[in-house]
This record gives sequence, C-alpha cells and structure tokens, in this order.
Amino acid sequence: MAASSPSYGPRPWTFYVLAALFALFVIFLYGPMIAVLILSFQGPSASLVFPLRDPSLMWFDELFNPRRTGDVVGAFNRSLPLAVGVMLLTVLISVTAGFAFRRRFKGATAIFYTAIASLIVPGLVLSIGILVTFRYLGWPASWYTSALGAHLSWALPFGLLIMFAILGRLSPSYEEAAYDLGASKWQTVKEVVVPIVFPGMIAVALFGFTLSYDEFPRSWLTVGSKNTLPLEIWTMTTNVTSPALYALGTVTTIVSFLVIALALSSIILIQRKRSRGK
Amino acid sequence: MTTTAAHVSNARPLQESGEIRLVDVAKQFGNTYAVQNINLTIPHGSYCCLLGPSGCGKTTILRMIAGHETPSSGEIYIGKDMVVGKAPVERGTAMMFQSYALFPHLSILDNVAFYLKMRNVGKEERRQKALEMLQRVQLDHLKDRMPAQLSGGQQQRVALARSLITNPKVLLLDEPLSALDEFLRLRMRGELKSLQDELGITFVHVTHTQPEAIALADMVVVMDTGRIDQADTANVIFNKPKTPYVARFMGGQNVLTGTVESNSGGVFKLKSADGSTFEAKAGDETASAGSKLSVSVRRDHVALRRGDGTTEVNSIAGVVDATEYQGSYVKVTINTAGGVFVANVSDRAYFAEPVDTGDKVVASWSTEDVHILSKADTGVAGDPYLDGGH
Repeated sequence: MAASSPSYGPRPWTFYVLAALFALFVIFLYGPMIAVLILSFQGPSASLVFPLRDPSLMWFDELFNPRRTGDVVGAFNRSLPLAVGVMLLTVLISVTAGFAFRRRFKGATAIFYTAIASLIVPGLVLSIGILVTFRYLGWPASWYTSALGAHLSWALPFGLLIMFAILGRLSPSYEEAAYDLGASKWQTVKEVVVPIVFPGMIAVALFGFTLSYDEFPRSWLTVGSKNTLPLEIWTMTTNVTSPALYALGTVTTIVSFLVIALALSSIILIQRKRSRGK
Repeated sequence: MTTTAAHVSNARPLQESGEIRLVDVAKQFGNTYAVQNINLTIPHGSYCCLLGPSGCGKTTILRMIAGHETPSSGEIYIGKDMVVGKAPVERGTAMMFQSYALFPHLSILDNVAFYLKMRNVGKEERRQKALEMLQRVQLDHLKDRMPAQLSGGQQQRVALARSLITNPKVLLLDEPLSALDEFLRLRMRGELKSLQDELGITFVHVTHTQPEAIALADMVVVMDTGRIDQADTANVIFNKPKTPYVARFMGGQNVLTGTVESNSGGVFKLKSADGSTFEAKAGDETASAGSKLSVSVRRDHVALRRGDGTTEVNSIAGVVDATEYQGSYVKVTINTAGGVFVANVSDRAYFAEPVDTGDKVVASWSTEDVHILSKADTGVAGDPYLDGGH
C-alpha cells in the first residue's frame, strides 16, 4: 500500500475568485487591443467588424500610401519628434530639479506642490487656456511650441515624482566618498551620481515619451493646424470607415511597445552588468 | 628566480605628520550643539578610537576631521596645517564609510582607481596602480567583479584599498566593523590593527563597541553627549575611569558612592547611604569630611560568599538577582540596598560554592582595588549605562 501523500491543505475559495477576477482584468486590458490587431488584417470586404475575411496587408498599404485616409505619415512625423523632445526635456528638467530638491532649499515644498498640481487640472481645460493665452499674445499655436508646453505640463510632474523617489533613495555617502577621493562637484555628478541613477533616468524618459506620444486632450487645441497622431486617429474615426483605422492602431501600438522594450532592456542590461560583472 | 612583489610606495617626508589637533571645536546643528569644547590631540601614527553611544557626537568629530562637516567654531590641525575649509585630499585624510559606499556601477578595479581617474591619470597607469593596491589587500583576483558580488569582508577591503590609494596621512573609519557578522568582525579587527602597524599612519576609528576600542586603540576617547569624558590608553580607561559615566560605559566596573567620614594616612573612609563602609587610597585627590565621593571597583576583583548582612569595611550585602555563565567566569548580579552590584566570579571559585537567585550574599574587595572617580556620582536619571550591562 502506498503511503498517503502529505496534504498541505486545499487552496482557499478566495484564490479562485481572485484568479477569475484577474483573468477578467487581463482580458479587458488586452482583449480590445488584440481585436484591433486582428481586424487590421481585414480583407477587401472592408468590414469593420468580425469575422475576418481574406486576410491581407492592404490597409497597412493604404496607411502609408493614402488615397482615402488623412495624412497619417505626416502626423507620425510630428508626433515622434514631439515625443522625443518632451522626453529629453522631461529627463533634463526632472534630473536637475531632483538634484536641487536634494538640498532642501527654502520653499521647496511649495514649488513641488505647484509642479504636481498641474496633474489635477483637466487636460482639455489646460489646452483651452494655452490656446487663449497664445492668441492673446499673438503667437501661432503649433505642435513644437504650444503643444510641447502642454505635454510637458503632463509629463514633467511624473518625471519629477520618479526622480525624487530615486534620488531620495540614493545614499549621500556616494557623493561624500567621491568628494573624499578628490572628485569635483561636476566629476561627482558625471562619474558617480548620473551612472547610479541612470536606470531611473530611462524610466523618466519612457514616461516622457509615451505620455506625449499618446496624448489627446492636451494636444487638441494646442497643435495648431496640423495634427499629431492621436488627433489624426480621432479624425479618422469620424471620417474614415475602413480597417485602415485598425492598421493605424496596430502600428502605433507597435511603436509604443518598441520604445518600452528598448527602455526596459537597457535597464535590465545595466542591472545585469552591475550584479554579474562585465 | 626572483619575484618582485609590486609595492605601492607609501614613502612620505617625515615632516608630513599625521598628528591631529582639535582646538575648542564645536559643531552646532540649528540650536543644539552636536559637540562642544572639543580639545584633543591624536599623536601621529597612533590608532585612536572614538567611543561612545549613538548620538554622542563621535561621528560628527570624525566627519569634521575628514572635511565632510565644517565646525561651527574652533580649529582643526593635521600636522602643521590648519585644515578647516580644505577638501579631504588637501588635508591628507581618507575616509572609509560605514556602509563602505563602493560605487555600484564600477568594477572593483575602477572603484580603487577612482581617485587616480579624478586626477586625470591615464587609464593604463591608474589600473596598474589600482591592481597593486588590490594585491595588497589580497583581492586582485576579484578585480573585475562588481561591488554587489562581494561579501561584506571583501567589500571592506576594497573600501580600504580605495582609501589608501590616496596615500593619506590619516585614515578615518566610521564604524568600519558594524556591518560584519561576529566572526568576520574579529578577523577584520585584527587586519585593521596590523594594517595600521604596517602603514604607520594615524587611524581614527569610530565605534560604539567597548571591546573593539580596547582591542585596537593606542588611545581611546570616551564621549558622552557632545563632550569628551576621558582620552587615554585603553588600559587606563578600563582600570582607572575618570568619571562614573566612563566606568559604567566601559563596563566591568561597580560604581559606589559614599560620604567621606575621615581621611587618615592617605586613606579615605567612606560610608554609603545604606550603611556599608569602604576605604579608598587617596592619590592626589582631596576631599573634605562630609563631602560625597564616588569610587569604582572592578567586577572581577570582587569576592563572593554566602552571608546575611555585613559590617566589615569594603563589603556590601545583598540578594542574588541573576547568574549568567560566561565560560571562564560567572556574572552574578546582586540587588543591594544601594542598587545593583555585579561580581564576576571565576568559574572555579563559583562552582566551588555556587549561589543562585534569591540567595543572600556578601561581596567584598580589598582597598587596593578601589579607584577614586573624579566626580561624585549624580547621574541616576537618564543614564542608560547604570546597569552596566556589558
């Protein structure tokens, strides 16, 4: 007779409830994206709904050689440099502000809350405000001026919060050790602080990029006469009734994923190098 | 067959002394003084331990010598130079941080070479010199590892190598052994001592552990809240503590307080509040009859016997509160009318006549073993070392 196997107790019923809840959450999160991905390969029937008939790449072709759709390529050529610009400025300002806040100057808290408060202001309202101000000053609104500012008002607070958390954890003894070993202030920043917080800077960059690349409400009135990608998609949903819309969704999602993958893999690479040696 | 061991030259002109002199140094944070009236001379080439409980200001003093903190007033000299306001490298000091602060993004070799890189020494040359320094601490085989991959003891040696490559006159160590486990701590303690012997430079070592200070230091500086209580050799600090605080903090001592009844032939006769009497040989101390005087008696200079009450001189009666076996001796804690009294009885004597909790005992000692403290014991309130539980 076989010895009875030890029993470690059954899983509680809550496990199954929570697992089901989580499964639902995942389906809700990725289901629509997958639906769009599949339907972007719709055939010439041009149906916007399932089922998928005669899969083809024709709507991707339509996207890049537009006959009926709007200026997708142009929109992408504006959205990408805008996102990169927002990314660079967010990193630069967050890191330098992080250094400043490390020294607890007078009024630091007030400035911090002022910066964070722009997260609460509704994006559309902010968009209107910027447009009105630009009109009043007689400046033309465009993606590289007013929209850049609008996006920064959204990306910067996130960048600041991340950078504060990272620099807050950075032990001051690294800087003191560098000073002890004869490093100047600039050498300390360049050789010690920045390399140590570099993974955090990538995270800030990632936030800056994606927040700008996907931004709709803050772009709406601030981009001027030419659309960024999210606005172009919005326009297409009202004008274009073809799976080209889905193809566009697929392409932009892929771009976002590529950026995230690039950022994460560089963080992992750095950390692996630090823990395993070269 | 010749093998030439690579040695890093530590030759330094004799006049570049590593003597440290603090004159009336004070450091204020906001409205409170972290340290005050600090006057201290640490001789060149000595191993000095700054000892005290946390918050006593010992780390502040170390950081002021290192140049990581600026004194609010006073002067600090290293050799002949006034160093207040100078950068650490100009002072000729190097500091080893409590958590070592090895740069996590640099290999061991590049950590050690950091100082040379800051001075724009070429890559090949600085790596060669760093390797020589790593050989010195026997870690050259780990040169390409990252700090996170090393054990605590190895990290500490890397931190040492990184500090020593600056060729300092003074090495400052902030609780260097506190991050290590007991076994490594004892080993690294030995290594620090022999390193200091070999280099002949001044070491200043901050610690809150008495045995560490006694084992390492040529000079122990015992600190209380922001002040220096006593600075002397380990032997003097342990045997002849100046104040009740030092006696208690160093452990191993009983502090007794009594009123002077007479002073005849250089011997004070004292009577404590609970009626027990004891004698103390006066050195250059003077005390008039009726004044309070505190003395200390080493725990291991006390004899113990069963007995209910005592009228003898140099004895105290009480009830055993606890016994603690320590291997070579047994620590017997006795509740007396005047407070807690501890006798460390050798294991042989103890097991010849064991006592247990609740037994009535008499502890006695001889007049030669009584040491007079410079001030009468007042501090009961707020003195966490009153039990002397070390």
